[in-house]
Amino acid sequence: MSAAFDQITQADDSAALSSTGEARDFFALLKPRVMFLVIVTALGGMVAAPGSVNPVIGLAALLAISVGAGASGCLNMWWDADIDAVMARTAGRPIPAGRILPSEALAFGLTLSIGSVLVLGLVANLLSAAMLAFTIFFYAVVYSMWLKRATPQNIVIGGAAGAFPPMIGEAVVTGDFGMTSIVLFAIIFLWTPPHFWALALVKSADYARAGIPMLPNVAGPAATRRQIVAYTLVLAPVAVLPALMGFGGLIYLVVSVVTGLAMIGLSLRVLKVTEGEAANKAAYALFGFSILYLFLLFAVLLAENGLGLMWALPKVLG
Amino acid sequence: MSEDPQDKKQPPAAFSPEDMARRNRRSVALALVLGGLVLFFFIVTLAKTGPAILNRPL
Repeated sequence: MSAAFDQITQADDSAALSSTGEARDFFALLKPRVMFLVIVTALGGMVAAPGSVNPVIGLAALLAISVGAGASGCLNMWWDADIDAVMARTAGRPIPAGRILPSEALAFGLTLSIGSVLVLGLVANLLSAAMLAFTIFFYAVVYSMWLKRATPQNIVIGGAAGAFPPMIGEAVVTGDFGMTSIVLFAIIFLWTPPHFWALALVKSADYARAGIPMLPNVAGPAATRRQIVAYTLVLAPVAVLPALMGFGGLIYLVVSVVTGLAMIGLSLRVLKVTEGEAANKAAYALFGFSILYLFLLFAVLLAENGLGLMWALPKVLG
Repeated sequence: MSEDPQDKKQPPAAFSPEDMARRNRRSVALALVLGGLVLFFFIVTLAKTGPAILNRPL
C-alpha cells in the first residue's frame, strides 16, 4: 500500500487541511512536459485522421485530452509520493517537497480526470471520452499502482498509456479509430522502452533505493542494453510506416529514416560503451535524442497534414 | 445533540503573512481558471450549435 494513504491520514488528523502551495505547484503536478508531448501526439492523430473537425471543437478536445493526461500525472504523483521522496530526480516534486498535501493532489487529480472526460464527451464524442477515461485509468491504476512496483516490464506495458493520445485524437475527428492511429500508437509504444531504459541505466541506483524493479536493476545493465537495441531496431522501421501508408509525405520519409538511423546508432553506442562516465553519456545521449525523435516525427506529420506541406508519396501499404 | 468529533481537533495553525499572500495568489489563479472555463463553454457552445443560438426570441 502506498505511503500516500498514510500521509493523507496524517494530514487529516492534523490541523492542516490545506497547504500553501501556489498555482505553479498545482501546474507542476500535471507533468507539463509530458502534457506537451501528449498535445503534440494527440494533435498528430487528429490531423492525420481521414476526416476533418471544426477547429474550435478540435482545440477544445485537445485541451480536454491534455488536461486528462495531466490529471493522470497528478494521480501518479499522489500515489508515488513515497518513492519520489527517496529519488534525487523527483524529491523536489510538490508533494515530497511538502508544498502540496497528498489529499489536495488526490482531489485535484480526480476533479480534473472527471472534468476532462465529461468535457471531451460533450464537445467531441463518447468514444473519445471513454478512451480518455481508460487512458487515465491505465496510467494511474494499472501502471502506477500495479505494474510500476511489480515487474521490470512496467514501462513496456505502461507505455500503452502514453501511446493512446493519437488514437483519442483520431476518435475525436472520425468517431472511430483505424490503421492511421494504430500505427502512431505502435510508434509511441515501441519508443517508450528505449527512452526510459536509457534513463534507468543512468539512474539505476536511484531506482534501487526506491525499490522500483526497473530492468537494469532486475535483469542487469547488459540485458537492458540488448533490449534497448532490440526495441530500437523494431521502432525505426515502424516509424517509417506513415510514409508508406500515405499519411506521411516526402519530408516525413526523410526525417523518419535519418532520425531512425540516428536512434539505432545511439542505441548501438549504448550497447558498446558500458564502463564509466562515457557509458552514462551514451545513455543520456539516447534518452535526450529519443525525445527529439518522437517530437520531430509528430511535428513533421503536423506540418504535412495540418499546414499543407505534404509532398505525397505513392501509397505502398494500407 | 452529540458533539462533532471534528470540534475536538486543534484549531488550524496561524498562517504567516507570506503564507496568506501565497494563498491569495492561489485564489486569484483559481478565479482566472473559473473565468476561463465560462469563456471556454461559451465558445464551444457557439461552435457546436452555431451563432443562431443567439438569435432567438426572449
